[in-house]
Amino acid sequence: MLSIENLSKRFDTSLDHPLFEQVSLTLSPGESVAVMGESGVGKSTLLNCIAGLEPVDGGCIRLRDTVVTALDEDACSRLRRSELGFVFQAFHVLPHLTLAQNVALPLWLLDEKEAVADRRARAMLERVGLGPRGDDWPRHLSGGELQRVAIARALVHAPAVVLCDEPTGNLDPERAQGVLELLFEGIHNAGAIGILVTHSRAAAAHADRILRLTASGLVEDAG
Amino acid sequence: MGLFGSGTDAALRHIFLASLRRRRLATALSLLAIALGVALGLAVQLIHTAALDELGRGMRLLSGEADLQVVGPRSGFDDAVYARIALHPAVAAASPLLEIQARLPGRDETLRVFGIDLFRVAQVTPSLLPIVETATAGGEDPEGSDADRPDRLAALQPDALFLSPAAGTRLKLDAGDAVAVQVGIGEARLRVAGSVPGAGVGQVLAVMDIAGAQQAFDRIGRLTRIDLRLAPGSERGPAQEQLRTLLPPGVTLLTPEETASEVTGVSRAYRVNLTMLAAIALLTGGFLVFSTQWLAVVRRRREFAFLRALGLDRGSLRRGLLAEGALLGVVGGVIGVILAYLLTALAFSLIGGDLGAGFFRGVAPQLRVEPVLTLAYLALGVLAGVAGAWLPAREAARMVPARGLRAGDEAEVYQARPRWGATLIALILAALLCLLPPVGGVPVFGYLAVALILVAAVLAIPGATVGAMRLLPVRGSLVTRLARARLAAAPGQAVVAGVGVVASVALAVSMAIMVDSFRDSLDNWLTRMLPADLYLRASDSGASGYLDPVAVSRVAALPGVEAVRPVRFESLRIGEVREAIALIARPVQDTSGLPLVAGTLDPPAGPGTDPPTWISEALADRLDLGVGDPLALPIGEQLQTFRVVGIWRDYARQQGAAVIELATFRALTGDRRTNDLGLTLAPGTDPVGIMTAIRATLGDRVSEMILPGELRNMILEVFDRTFLATYLMLAVAVTIGLFGIGTTFAALATSRRKEFGILRHLGLPRRRIGTLLALEAALTAAVGVGVGVVAGGAIALVLIKVINPQSFHWSMDMQLPFGLLLIFGSAMILLAALAARLAGRQAMRQDAVLAVREDW
Amino acid sequence: MRAWLVLILMLCWPIAGVWASDFAPVVEGRPMTFPADTGAHPDFRTEWWYITGWLTDETGTERGFQVTFFRVGTGIGAGNPSRFAPRQLILAHAAIADPATGVLIHAERVERALDPLAGAAVGRTRAWIGDWELVLDEGGTQYRTRVTSDAFDLDLALAPPGPPVLNGREGFSQKTPDPSNASYYYSRPQLAVDGRIRIDGADLKVSGQAWLDHEWSTEIMPSQAQGWDWIGINLSDGGSLMAFRMRRDDDSPLWAAATLQEGTRPARILAPEQVRFVPRRRWQSPRTGAEYPVEWTLELDGRTLRLEPLMDDQELDGRRSTGIVYWEGAVRVYEGEREIGRGYLEMTGYAQRPENL
Repeated sequence: MLSIENLSKRFDTSLDHPLFEQVSLTLSPGESVAVMGESGVGKSTLLNCIAGLEPVDGGCIRLRDTVVTALDEDACSRLRRSELGFVFQAFHVLPHLTLAQNVALPLWLLDEKEAVADRRARAMLERVGLGPRGDDWPRHLSGGELQRVAIARALVHAPAVVLCDEPTGNLDPERAQGVLELLFEGIHNAGAIGILVTHSRAAAAHADRILRLTASGLVEDAG
Repeated sequence: MGLFGSGTDAALRHIFLASLRRRRLATALSLLAIALGVALGLAVQLIHTAALDELGRGMRLLSGEADLQVVGPRSGFDDAVYARIALHPAVAAASPLLEIQARLPGRDETLRVFGIDLFRVAQVTPSLLPIVETATAGGEDPEGSDADRPDRLAALQPDALFLSPAAGTRLKLDAGDAVAVQVGIGEARLRVAGSVPGAGVGQVLAVMDIAGAQQAFDRIGRLTRIDLRLAPGSERGPAQEQLRTLLPPGVTLLTPEETASEVTGVSRAYRVNLTMLAAIALLTGGFLVFSTQWLAVVRRRREFAFLRALGLDRGSLRRGLLAEGALLGVVGGVIGVILAYLLTALAFSLIGGDLGAGFFRGVAPQLRVEPVLTLAYLALGVLAGVAGAWLPAREAARMVPARGLRAGDEAEVYQARPRWGATLIALILAALLCLLPPVGGVPVFGYLAVALILVAAVLAIPGATVGAMRLLPVRGSLVTRLARARLAAAPGQAVVAGVGVVASVALAVSMAIMVDSFRDSLDNWLTRMLPADLYLRASDSGASGYLDPVAVSRVAALPGVEAVRPVRFESLRIGEVREAIALIARPVQDTSGLPLVAGTLDPPAGPGTDPPTWISEALADRLDLGVGDPLALPIGEQLQTFRVVGIWRDYARQQGAAVIELATFRALTGDRRTNDLGLTLAPGTDPVGIMTAIRATLGDRVSEMILPGELRNMILEVFDRTFLATYLMLAVAVTIGLFGIGTTFAALATSRRKEFGILRHLGLPRRRIGTLLALEAALTAAVGVGVGVVAGGAIALVLIKVINPQSFHWSMDMQLPFGLLLIFGSAMILLAALAARLAGRQAMRQDAVLAVREDW
Repeated sequence: MRAWLVLILMLCWPIAGVWASDFAPVVEGRPMTFPADTGAHPDFRTEWWYITGWLTDETGTERGFQVTFFRVGTGIGAGNPSRFAPRQLILAHAAIADPATGVLIHAERVERALDPLAGAAVGRTRAWIGDWELVLDEGGTQYRTRVTSDAFDLDLALAPPGPPVLNGREGFSQKTPDPSNASYYYSRPQLAVDGRIRIDGADLKVSGQAWLDHEWSTEIMPSQAQGWDWIGINLSDGGSLMAFRMRRDDDSPLWAAATLQEGTRPARILAPEQVRFVPRRRWQSPRTGAEYPVEWTLELDGRTLRLEPLMDDQELDGRRSTGIVYWEGAVRVYEGEREIGRGYLEMTGYAQRPENL
C-alpha cells in the first residue's frame, strides 16, 4: 500500500512559487497508474519524492507502515534498495558491467551472495527475452534491448514499487510497445505497484489508471 | 574486504575497484607517483639505515663492552690520566687506546690504526684482539706444535701491525709484508704480523701495541681514548660524574652511545633533508591521486547518482571511492617497495652507502630487509592514496542524486569559491611556525611551514584563476573567450588540473632558488677561504702526516715563494657541546681569509684583553654566543679564555669551529706542527715549478699539493653531485605534475564530449576544439606556474632562512635565478598545452553526433 | 720449577735464543742477601713467587690452594720512552682445590708492568696486578696475598717461622748436568696461614700451612728435557722437603735434586744420585687422556716416602688459554703408615712436551 497525502513541492528552496501541491494518491499492490502532464509540471520530481531522492515541502508519503518523507537519507537509501525499482528514460545500463551483472546490481546492494545474485539475474534476463545474453556487454545492445535490461534490473529484487520515468522516451513506437508490455506484465506478475510518468498516451494506456499532474494536484485524466 | 558487508564485495569489486582498470593511464600515473614517492623515501631510509647500522656496528665493535669512554681532542690527551682512571674503584677494567689515521705514503689512502694494550683490550673490546700469523719464524718444530696457540709476545713487538680482514683485502697485504706509514713528513716501517679476525667484514682498521704506536707515530705520552667497564654495582651516571673530576679540561667521559651519536648526528640533517624530498615526491603522488580521483568522480557522476537511486547509501559510496584510493596506495606502495630495494641494491653496488655526501666513508653496508621501515612506507603510500581520494569521495557522497541523474551538470563540481581567507590563515600560520626553534636539531616546524605554504598555494588556485581570467582581455577570438569563460565559471577545473603543477613547480622553484643561492654562497666562501696561490699539506688534517717547522722554513726559503701561511687543525671538546668542535690555528689578523658575517678581523688589542677568537656560525648558534662574548677553550689541557671578535660562515664543519691566531696556539701548547701551508707566490711565478721544487725538497711520497682553483672545482663538483639526487627527484615531481595536466585534460575532454559535440554542431572545427583544450590547459598551467613560482619563492625563503640554519647552522645569501625560472615556467606552460592537446585528441575524434546523443 | 714457567717461556720463545744475552746470566757464588733478594730481579729473564699450601676452614674442611706471581722480561721496548713499553710482563695465577667438588678452580691475570697498575718491586717482595698482590711487610715477618675473581677470593696472611731455606749450592740451583741451566732459588716452608677465602659464595675463615718458592733465572730447560716432577712438603716435625727431577722423553731422569730439613736441624742438600722418584699409581685424565703418576714412592738418601694426592683430578687443562696441560695439587706424605707432612706435587710433560723450550 502506497499512499501520498497532500504532497507539495516548491520549485526551488529560494522560490515561494509551488511546483505542485495537494497531491494525493493511494495505490494497492498490483495496481499501476500512469501520470501525465505538461513539461515542467514536476512529474519526474514527484517520482523522486516518492523515492526519497528529493525532499518534499509538505504532505506525507507512506509505503506500507513506513513514512518515506520522515526518513533520513541513509534510511531512504535502504528503502530504495529493498522496496523500489527504477526504469529511466536513459537506460543507465553500466557499460563496464555485463548484462547479468547489471541486472544483479540491486541484489549485490542487498548483500545477496554473488552466485545467487547471478542466478536470479539470469532468470530475470530470461523473462525479458535476453536469456542467452547474460555475458554480453551493453555496447552490443540496441536501445530496446537496453531498456529490457533496465526492466529486468528494476524487477529482479521483487520491489514493492516500480517507478518508471519515460521508459520509452528514447525508443521508436514499435519497440516501445514491446517494452511497455514487458514492463507492466512484470509489475503485475510481481504484485508490485507501478507508477509510470510519460508524455505518451499510448504508453499511459498500459496502466490501470491515468492521472494528470497539475500545479494544484492530481486529477483523473479526462482522456 | 567486507567494506559493505559480505555480499556487496561484488559491488565494491565491479563498480569501484574495476573502474581503476578502465582508466588505465590515470591509474598508472597515480601508481607511478605513489611508487616513486615510496621508492625514493624508502631507498633513502634503507641506504642510510644500512650505512648507519654498519657504522653503529663499527662503533659497537670498537667500543666493545665499554660502559664509558674517556675522549679528548683529536690529538689526544696525556696518558697520565690512564692510571688515575684505571685505579678508580668504580672502574672494573680500563683499556687505553691511541687511534691514528695513518696516511700510507705512495697510496692514496689512510688506515685507521689502533694502538692497544692487548692484555687490557680483551676485557673491554675483545674484537680488537690481534692474532699472530707467523709466516716465516720458527718453522723447526718437528713435533707439529699447536698452530692455534696465540703467540702473544710477538704482538708486543713495536713494529707488528695487525690488519682487519677488510683492511688486508683493501691494501692487498699479507702476514710478513712490510708497510710504510707516514709520520710527519717522514715514514715509519711496520710489518704485518697477523690479523684482527674479530673486526668483521665491513671494518677497515689495523691494531698494534700501544707502546709501539706511541713510538712509531711520535705520540709518546698520548692517548685518544680509554674504554671503561664499570665495577658491578657502579651506576653509570654517578661514576661518570666522579671520574670526570679526574680529567683535565677538554677531556670528557661519554657513553659509547654518545660517542656513536657524534658520528650519526653530523649526518642527520642531511638524511632528514633527503627524506623530506622523498616525502615531497609522495605528496605530489597524493595530489595526483586527488586529481585523477576527482576527475573520475566527475565523470562517473551520473553513474553514482543512478547507484544512489538504486539504494547505495552515502557511506558505502564514500568507502568505495576511498577503497579505490587505498588500492592505488597499496599497489603503488608495493611497487615502490620493490623499486626501493632494487634502488638500494644498485646504490650499494655502485656508490656504497654514501649518497654522495661523504658521511659514511669506510663502511661497506649490506642490504637488509627492514620490515618496520618497509611497512611504514607502505602505509605512507596507502595514506597518500586514501588522502588523495578523500575530498573526491566526500564530494561524490555529498552529491544530490536527483540532480546528478540529470545530464550536463558536470561543470557544477568545478565550482570552487576563492578561498583567500583560508589561504591567508595558512600563510600566517606558516610564518609563525618559522619563528619556532628546531626540535632535536631537526627543523620540524620549518618543514611544516613548507607544507602549509603548499596548502596555501592550492587554496589560492581558484581565486588566482578567477583573478587571472579577469585580467585577460574580454575581447579576442571565440576560443579565447570560450576558454576564459570556462575557467572563470569553473575554477575548480584549474584546481584539479593544476594542483600537481602547483605542488611540483613550487618545490622545483624553491629547490632551484636554494641550490643556486647555496652554490653561489659556497663559491664566494671558497674564494675567501683559499686566498693563497698554492696549498701544501702532509696529509688530511686528521691523519698522521704534518709539516714540522724545519720543513715549513725550507718551503718558505724556496725561490719564488713570497710568504707562507701555516694552519694547524685540532679538535676540542667544550662541555656544552657534545661533539668535538674544530679548532683552526692560523694567522688571521692582516689577512683576507675569513668570510665574516659579524665582527672584525682586526680587533683592538689592548693590554689585559683576552686573545681573540673567530667562531663559525654553527658554534655561535650552539653556544648562543655573539661578538664580544668570552669563550673558554681547553687548549693544551688548560682552559684559556678567548674573546669572540668575529663570526664567520663555515660550510665545512657542521659541528662548529673556532679560529685562533697560530701564535696563540703555539704559545699555549708548544705544538709547532703545521697541517696546511698556504703559499703566496711572487708575481709571475709558475706554481707548477714551485710544486716540483717542493717535491724535491720534501720527497714526493709524503706531501700533497693543490691549487686553490682545482680544489674549488673539486668541491663544487662534489656539491653538484650531492644535489644531483635532488634534481632527479624534482624532475620526477615535475614530470608527474605535467602528466597530471595531461590526464586531467584527457579526462576533461571525455567528460565534456557533449559540450564539444554541441560546439561542433554549432560549426566550430575540430581543430579549434583542440586549440580550446590547449588554451585552457595553458591558462591553467600559467595560473599553476604563477602560483607555484610565488609559493616556491616563499618555500625557498623558508629553506634558506629557517631550515638550513636550523639543520646545518649555516647561512647563505638568497639568489634568484630569474632566467632559469622564466625558461622553466614557459616550458611548463608549453608542455601543459601540448599535453592537453595530445590528451584531447582522442576526445576530438569522437563523432560529434554520437556524442550529443550518447547515453553516458 | 713451576708449570706456569712453561707459559712464560712460551711467551719468550721467539726471542729466547736470540736475546738471552740481553739478560743477566745465573752464575754460582752470588751470595743471597735478605730482604733485598725477596724483591724482584728485573735483570733476569724470568722470576716467580709461588705459594702452595693447605687450608682448613672452621668446619674442618681441607682445601689446597696456590698463588703465583711471575715476572717476565720480554727484551722488547728497551729504548721506547712510552710508559706502555712492554719491557716486563707480570702474570699471576691462583687456584683452589676443593675435594668436596673434586674440581680445581682457578683464575689468572696478565699485564705489562706499568706503575701503579702492575709491577714487581725491587728490594722487598711486592708483586701486583691491579688488586691482586703479594707483599712482604716492612719487618719481613709476614707475607700478605690477595686475589679476587668471579669464582673465588683469597686474602691470606702468611708468616714464615724462620729464615729462608736456600736450595742448591747457597741458592744456586742447577737443573741439568750443564751448570748454565740453573736458577737462583730459595724456599719459605712452614708458612703459618691465617685469613679468609670466598668460595661458592661462602666467606670462610681459614688457617693452614703453606710454602713459598722464589726463583729467578735466565735459562732453565734444555731441549732434551721432556718435563719434570716437583714437590714442596711441610713436614709435621717442623722441617721441610723440596725435591725435583727433570725427565728425558723416555722418562729416564736427566737430573734430580732435593733440599731436606729435618726438624730444626740445618737443611741438607741432596745430590742427584740421592733422589729417586718411583711412580706407584697412575690416573688418567678424562679430559686430555694424559696419564699422571698421582701416587709416588720417593727414595731420599735411604728414606722411603709415599705421596698420596688430596684428590686425583688436580689437572690444569690450559689447552684453550695457555696451551699447556699439567697436574699440580695438594698431596699428603707418608712414611710407612704415618703421615709425616703435607705439600704440593707438580708434574709436567705427561700430556705433551711443553713445546719450544
